Amino acid sequence: MKKKILIVGGGTAGTMTANNLAKKLMPEIDRDELEITLISNSKYHYYKPGAMYVAFGKSEGYEFVRDQRALLMSEINFEVEEATEISTNGNFVKTKKGKKFDYDFLVLATGCEVAPERIPGLSEAGDWFYTYEGATKLAKKFHDIKKGRVLVTVNFPKTPNIPHQCGIAPVETTMMLHDFLTERGVRDDIEIIYTYPTVAQSVTNGLFMQEPTSNVLPSIFDSLGVKHQSGFTLSKVDAKKKVAISAEGEEIEFDILMSTPPFTATKFIRESGISQALDDEGWLPTDKETLKVKGLDNVYTLGDTVDLPVSKAGGTVHNQTDVVADNIASELRHGYTSESYDGLVIAIAQMGLSCGMPLWYNYDKDVAPTPCSKLGSFVRKGFNKGIYWAAARGMV
Amino acid sequence: MSEKVEVLKTKEMQELEAKMTMLIQTGRIDNLIDLMALISDNIEMTTSPMVEKMIHTVDNLASAGFITDNAVRYAKRETAKNEVPSLFGILKLMGDEDTRKGLSFMLNLTKGIGKQL
Repeated sequence: MKKKILIVGGGTAGTMTANNLAKKLMPEIDRDELEITLISNSKYHYYKPGAMYVAFGKSEGYEFVRDQRALLMSEINFEVEEATEISTNGNFVKTKKGKKFDYDFLVLATGCEVAPERIPGLSEAGDWFYTYEGATKLAKKFHDIKKGRVLVTVNFPKTPNIPHQCGIAPVETTMMLHDFLTERGVRDDIEIIYTYPTVAQSVTNGLFMQEPTSNVLPSIFDSLGVKHQSGFTLSKVDAKKKVAISAEGEEIEFDILMSTPPFTATKFIRESGISQALDDEGWLPTDKETLKVKGLDNVYTLGDTVDLPVSKAGGTVHNQTDVVADNIASELRHGYTSESYDGLVIAIAQMGLSCGMPLWYNYDKDVAPTPCSKLGSFVRKGFNKGIYWAAARGMV
Repeated sequence: MSEKVEVLKTKEMQELEAKMTMLIQTGRIDNLIDLMALISDNIEMTTSPMVEKMIHTVDNLASAGFITDNAVRYAKRETAKNEVPSLFGILKLMGDEDTRKGLSFMLNLTKGIGKQL
């Protein structure tokens, strides 16, 4: 009987995994022994990191949106369906329209979403660049501001040792903001304050979630005239007075609050009953090596949904997807997994509008900060506007 | 070079110096310096809009390659699976929506090429 692989989620993780699986399992597809289906709640595919450039007027946004179908190999069935229910005993997923998708192997790749409502006042007074709508709103404010203060705040999940989406993004955007305001000729009249919470994944009282980078950031920020402060865990925002209040009891006034808000897994995953993450955050308990959901032998997960101590970013997914595809292919053919994820994350951070810093790390080794360069920035921009789509299609 | 500095040199540094000396003596170091200068000049003279335009071209080629690769694989699989269709079979194939979509694309592609000739 034909085997069925079901992938839920049409973002970077779902798309790359579907294409990689189709490539690896082409002999089985040719023999009509296997069916791969991807379901997504949108007919469009969004490249999320592009929103960061929209916030500084360096992209319009449409360049980062494509038809999901155009990114999938023709062997993959694609349906626009919103998953609402999962039965790990019955091996099926149900959707909002009432459709039932059976599976032999399931890949949960539904990502994460911003949850600003978890901090009182943040939805009303804060801004963030993690969605295109948010970035567009922020871009308008950055274009209009002539003097005042931009306050940067960062929040981490309550579940220990898990990062927010794209760990380096708050640093990147603070530096991009400095360059952008300098370009506009208003930097001298605008104060930028970068704050970081007391507890940040594995670091306490630092400026970044990994120690080596946390240690070099003060001198980098000093050289740009960016004020920095650790021990500021945003807990409340007075939207009327434009004051950010920390759990440590401090208050900072702002004109613009550029925030990394709380994140959670998607509603479907939070309501699936599979996660035991704190505060109903929904992160899936993931085996750090096989990338299977713990306790479920035929369910894999990757990307932003996992509870692993690695960045929730495309540079992580790119390495995880090969492990998931290899393991499913191996299980189908031999009955056992064959690959192991070592926590590898590879990316290029946009340190300002025209400087890029290559970075890589894994479970055992933190990022070693290196000088950023113009060439690095070109590679990053080239990836954003072109190479990404080839990577999503499983070509790179 | 003083004797003291000479002693402090590591083995690796001595090996590197020997290799560099050879490159200098044979005049080949000039070519390498020229190459480094060329790479450096290219980085200096490249702008973000240039990178975006170049990558757009690469993306177009990759997209065309992806579509063609998918279509050829599908066609090969279908051809291997089915008998060679009769004239009626071909007409039946034309009734399929995807076939008509592909045909329409090919005809418009032909028209697009014609417009440029």
